[in-house]
Amino acid sequence: MTRKILTEKNLVVRHSALELLEHWAIALSGLVLLLTGIFELPVGKRYYIINVPGLGWSADFITSLYLHYAAAVVFTGAAMFHVFYHGLRGEQGLMPRKGDASESVTVIKSLFGFGEEPPMHKYLPEQRLAYAGMAFIILMLIVSGLVKTYKNIYAPDMSHAVLLWATWIHNIAFILFFLAFLAHMAAILLKPNWPMVRGIFTGRVRLDYARHRHTLWLAEMEPAPKQPAPAVEGALPVKEAEAFADDTEEDDLPPELEKPEEMPKDKPEIDKGA
Amino acid sequence: MKKAKDLAIGRRAFLKITAGAAAASTVGLPQKASAETDHQLSTLIDLSLCDGCPDKKVPSCVSACKEINQDRIPQVTDPIPEPWPRKTIEDWSKKQDAFHRLTPYNFIYVHKAEVSVDGQPKTVFVPRRCMHCDNPACATICPFSANHKNKNGAVVIDQDLCFGGAKCRDVCPWEIPQRQSGVGIYLKVLPGLMGNGVMYKCDLCFERTVAGQLPGCVEACPREAMLIGTRKAIEQMAEARAKRMNGSIYGKTQNGGTATLYVSPVPFEEINKTMARKPGQPDMKTDVKRRMKGTDPLARAVLASPALGIAAAGAAWVLNRKNRTAGEE
Ligand code: HEM
Ligand code: SF4
Ligand code: SF4
Repeated sequence: MTRKILTEKNLVVRHSALELLEHWAIALSGLVLLLTGIFELPVGKRYYIINVPGLGWSADFITSLYLHYAAAVVFTGAAMFHVFYHGLRGEQGLMPRKGDASESVTVIKSLFGFGEEPPMHKYLPEQRLAYAGMAFIILMLIVSGLVKTYKNIYAPDMSHAVLLWATWIHNIAFILFFLAFLAHMAAILLKPNWPMVRGIFTGRVRLDYARHRHTLWLAEMEPAPKQPAPAVEGALPVKEAEAFADDTEEDDLPPELEKPEEMPKDKPEIDKGA
Repeated sequence: MKKAKDLAIGRRAFLKITAGAAAASTVGLPQKASAETDHQLSTLIDLSLCDGCPDKKVPSCVSACKEINQDRIPQVTDPIPEPWPRKTIEDWSKKQDAFHRLTPYNFIYVHKAEVSVDGQPKTVFVPRRCMHCDNPACATICPFSANHKNKNGAVVIDQDLCFGGAKCRDVCPWEIPQRQSGVGIYLKVLPGLMGNGVMYKCDLCFERTVAGQLPGCVEACPREAMLIGTRKAIEQMAEARAKRMNGSIYGKTQNGGTATLYVSPVPFEEINKTMARKPGQPDMKTDVKRRMKGTDPLARAVLASPALGIAAAGAAWVLNRKNRTAGEE
């Protein structure tokens, strides 16, 4: 039994340990790939990177290739794990929904002080869009990277056309990955997002923050006040019907004493304390 | 199966056979991609035959090569944009005639090796050019795939795609490709910041071989010191000649194997002693490892990683289900 809402600590569990592991495996190996990928370009000597203490190897393409491959194993494995594990579990909290584009505009405007934020799910609309974009970029990097890797071992004389496609997809996706990474960092710099930063390190965010900003997420875990309380046994929350029916059994959240009108709810979105 | 001898041709043999059929089948690029070694070309350079063309100022192979490629490099921009921050510019446009080393305008040169064999002085001439390696790092890790190994074995740089970063030269054990700054696609992108010209080297006369013609050097050599043919034929011939002259072969194992086999009555260790490695003048060390070979096991792990990730996801999912049902009981 996993408790998601830790009222006494004013925290709510946002990511399971497994999800944290996935995120950091992809993030750290992605950074290594970005760096060693750049060092696969002839920049080490030209930009005097070899003179930076500790980066003397930056012009040695074979050394970079060892590191690029090592990171690619982690990166590709983790990405595939992510897609298939959460796919099998039917979790889709990060999948873009209808209206995300226009809602993102509203949210981003509000971040700069124009207008009000709409009530939000666990993930912000622009997070869901960014997720889809990043997933696409990563898929392109992986597919093209696999072709390049195959060529290096087995088929240096493979079709030049295929190789040119793979190379240019890899190069363009690399630039997009870099830009997406910068955008990711920029999002973290915005103050309203700060409470989520501890989440990606500890798995938990402040409950009051979540209540205030991720109203719809919390509503999925804590039934809304107006719902007729006891009536039907084992009632499913009708309200967020699109939601994630798979996970019901596991999370019997204790009724929260200080809010007697709220009912225990058995429908968290995608987190399972792993 | 034709005999090896029929499939390896030099100047005279080539003159004898009718240009069409035989040439196309042995030298021409196969229409259809195929891994069969029959479609792979190799060349043989027999150092017991090369005499350095003593009666000519420029050896025949070199001048033939120069002539064929004379219009290859377009007009170089003037001034050549200064690269930032390292200001290296490599400009051979005013020294196009240089023939004592590899340059962007000179893809083959002949090294003169004064060696001693059993105490006797002896002169050996060694034509040098790209070896057309079997798994050439210069091509496989070109970041633009401008350099590519073709099915027929020729390693060819597409000068319209090359940015001139010289990565190919850095990873070539002989530093064969040579840069001409001030030409190429980089001029149209960010000339000051990325790229620095175009890399040039021997392409085994790709267009000529596809058209059923011999490479210029092979065709021009008056002594038939160079031959071209199917890989198998050239390998057999190299073995036979090396055996006959009690000599050795270079290029068979070096850098993981190449499509160029030198045979020499003088050991290559001796020849190498006469070669001070300088820009455009490769040495002939016999112990040349293919460095990328070391990365192959990790590369195989990369190819396996999607399956590993999916398997782990499946396992985690099943475990999770089990725990859940167990929890319910
Ligand atoms: C964050 C992800 C990645 C980034 C930013 C990235 C970036 C780059 C860059 C900039 C290059 C040099 C340019 C080029 O050769 O085309 C490169 C080369 C390479 N990348 Fe990646 N890459 C990533 C992921 C991957 C993955 C997942 C694989 C394998 C599955 C891979 C395989 C390769 C290989 C083999 C090369 C060496 C050059 C070659 O063999 O052609 N990369 N990468
Ligand atoms: S000799 Fe050098 S340039 Fe020629 S194919 Fe081999 S690695 Fe490439
Ligand atoms: S290989 Fe032939 S053409 Fe070239 S220098 Fe030797 S003899 Fe002359």
